[in-house]
Amino acid sequence: MADMMMNRRAFVGGSLAASALAALAGCGKKTDGGTTTGGTATDSANVLKFYINNPVAIDPYNTQESEGTQVEHVMFDALTDYDWNTNEIVPKAAEYWDVNDDATEFTFHLVEGATFHNGDPVDAASFKRGWERICDPNMTTPSEIRYHLDPDKGALEMAEGKATELTGVEAVDDYTLKVTLTAPMADFPYICAHPALVPVPQAALDDPEKFLVAPIDNGPFMIDGEWVADQYINLVRYDNYYGTPAAIDGIYFSIQKDPDTAFREFEAGNIDFTSIPSGRMSEISEKYGLSDDGYTVTPGAQVLTGAEASIYYLCVNCEDEVMKDPVIRNAISLAINRQNIIDTVFEGTRVPADCIFPKVIDDDPSNAWENSHYDLEAAAKMLDEKYPAGSDGKRGIKIKLSYNSGGGHEDIMSIIQGDLEKIGIEVQQESLEWAAYLDALGDGNYQIGRLGWIADYPTMDNFLYPNVLSTSENNYSKYVNAEVDKAMNDARQIVDDEERKAAYRKINQMVGADMPIIPVMFYSHNHVGSERLASFFYDAQGKAEFAVAELV
Amino acid sequence: MIKYIIKRIIQFIPVFLGVTLILFAMQNIVPGDPIKLIAGEKKLDPQTEINLRATYHLIETDENGNPILDENGNTIETPLWKRYISYITGLLHGDLGRSYQQNGKPVTAILGQKYPYTFRLALVAIVIESILGIGAGMISAIKRYSAWDVGVTLVTSTMVAMPAFWFGMLQQLFWGIFLKNVTNGAFYLPISGVGGPHAEFENWVYYILPALTLAAVSTAYTARIMRSQLLEVLNQDYIRTARAKGLSRRAVIWRHALKNALIPVVTYIGMDFGGMLAGAILTETVFNWPGVGFETYRAISQRDWPIVMGSVTVIVIVVMVINLLVDISYAFLDPRIRFDGSKGE
Repeated sequence: MADMMMNRRAFVGGSLAASALAALAGCGKKTDGGTTTGGTATDSANVLKFYINNPVAIDPYNTQESEGTQVEHVMFDALTDYDWNTNEIVPKAAEYWDVNDDATEFTFHLVEGATFHNGDPVDAASFKRGWERICDPNMTTPSEIRYHLDPDKGALEMAEGKATELTGVEAVDDYTLKVTLTAPMADFPYICAHPALVPVPQAALDDPEKFLVAPIDNGPFMIDGEWVADQYINLVRYDNYYGTPAAIDGIYFSIQKDPDTAFREFEAGNIDFTSIPSGRMSEISEKYGLSDDGYTVTPGAQVLTGAEASIYYLCVNCEDEVMKDPVIRNAISLAINRQNIIDTVFEGTRVPADCIFPKVIDDDPSNAWENSHYDLEAAAKMLDEKYPAGSDGKRGIKIKLSYNSGGGHEDIMSIIQGDLEKIGIEVQQESLEWAAYLDALGDGNYQIGRLGWIADYPTMDNFLYPNVLSTSENNYSKYVNAEVDKAMNDARQIVDDEERKAAYRKINQMVGADMPIIPVMFYSHNHVGSERLASFFYDAQGKAEFAVAELV
Repeated sequence: MIKYIIKRIIQFIPVFLGVTLILFAMQNIVPGDPIKLIAGEKKLDPQTEINLRATYHLIETDENGNPILDENGNTIETPLWKRYISYITGLLHGDLGRSYQQNGKPVTAILGQKYPYTFRLALVAIVIESILGIGAGMISAIKRYSAWDVGVTLVTSTMVAMPAFWFGMLQQLFWGIFLKNVTNGAFYLPISGVGGPHAEFENWVYYILPALTLAAVSTAYTARIMRSQLLEVLNQDYIRTARAKGLSRRAVIWRHALKNALIPVVTYIGMDFGGMLAGAILTETVFNWPGVGFETYRAISQRDWPIVMGSVTVIVIVVMVINLLVDISYAFLDPRIRFDGSKGE
């Protein structure tokens, strides 16, 4: 900064440029007061500057999308954490936990002596308090993510206004939290790693308006000032953290509207981590170097392309006259040239999807569905018997391919249309605005649509249960298979990790044979970090590990 | 004059009610359920959906806030007219409701945070537009067919043809990145508020690029209108008379021609100012300006009706007031125009 000011005098004498520089050099007075708590931690050079969009919420009771989660997950520590290196669930705010034989009762033993940054203890009651806020229908606006607590006894009753506390969650003593579920769920500790299921201090109830913009947390960073919508959120290191303190002094979340603008700020040296504008992957990879593992930024290896825990798929309306025939669904899946989509639209950075589980969730080679590869001949053959091709090559199958406009899906859908027309299926595209598109999907007023699924929890269950269980809200395909339903409920009871995984692999194959959804591709990171990042890990769920990040 | 202003203000009321009523009715016509949209493709669980609808008074509730059910056990939707009445009642109490998408944050707080930025940016842009536009227009009219005139015409044609957001991006690339690299960080202009630990939109250097971008197209139009108006006025008899009486060319232009030529220009600038106060979506997006335009755009696409209604309410009032001010300014510019019904001199 000092250099800049000296250069300024040498370089320009004009008053405009001079005051421009004064502002840029940060030597002018800070005009907005009230956002610095006692120090200048966020002015320090050891602060990481990170681009986000304006979050929906950073108060854990309503943290839901990627941007809010990005901020909130470094502030709050949940009971458990998922380790992406070992693919295991590990302790965080809970030191260890016990589970009963049928996976309906979990007892978490909390780390003793941890505090919120206002000094309040992180005890079992604070967890119960945090979880109850999620179920409470009398919040200023009720939480939109109560479904995370669906497995918990008493969660629905509380939301219905029939109970005033969460009966399934019990503070046995200060540091023992007992959770009772309505049905067995061996994966429950994975759910407990979700950034929304965290403790809150009493202050959250006393002043909820304040807590929305300046939550008081128990994690390695705390908020500096408050969240200023569409501008910034500043976090600083919390020095009384019970775990290993962070290496960086703070994080400056720059809230931007447009990824292209954010990228220009990155080029101007003002942002340390951002996404790469579409179509510029190869050029930027060349300039900044590819990361070795796809998830870690180090100087000279700054571009991330690691696979994500999310899938892009076509959902098929199984109640539709045409699409209810599994033969057509399987033939369509065979006809789609997934690699071509990835090479043409995404410069080869994504991974073709051959089943419902992204590779980072489960990379068992036997997961691939029988008809999820590209084989035009097999696709045509499959249709020949029931739907013979006429002299013009058409088979009399007409389908409508619906998608939301403006999300970059046009190119993908046009390739799919071309593929399907090769096997004699007539395709019409229907591009709808997002709101109208959701209406159409929800009302079952579509034949084939597109959707993406981002894992809430890194479990196999989370890809199957919400999307293909016949009674699930998100079963847009209206897929009904009693055997699959039963197998999924059975799998949830298996406490042994390996056995449970094997059960889910079987369900994956059962679903694959029916093809209620057609997997297209697994998402990948397309992000770039600056040279200031000495070491920076960005996991498969798109959460940055700020607590262990280091700056040069 | 006072009578005229009061008459105009009373006329505001039916216009305002008409506009808001039409917009309110659109909530039921436009596809997309605002509550379902909160969750996006990951659906809300049914009980949460009911609780949210009750919170936002979209379904009938009893005095405890619990939803009232019909004989089939379904919730009852609050009719549109009831919601419109509570919107108007709220408005009279200074309450614009709560946002569906932003954790129930009051709309007045959301707009209150955004409007100052929009207003200041619009003000800077209008000053640029007035000075540069009127100045360039005058020069090119007075020095007609000179190199100046050709230059102004060329520049204005280019500006009119260039999309504002693209012009903005070019400026960012030049002032923010190219200059910074060339001068080794010694001189550059900020791109989007990133720089210090806070977005520094309070500081005036952050206004330069967005205001230039926002003003670009209108400045060009202003210059062209100014040029043609001034030329027309300069050709009129009374100007020739004034010159013949021995007044200097300068005096004639400043004292006699300019005021008369300004009327359409002021109209244009006034309307433009009104438009800018409604927010500038593209400029705000490119420069990450925390203004009201992007907020409204986001609210429309997410069907966050309270915010849409709130910003439209403000926009309608602002536009009506600005129109009134423009009309009043005519009287100052052209003494023949009077509003009180009596004949001009």
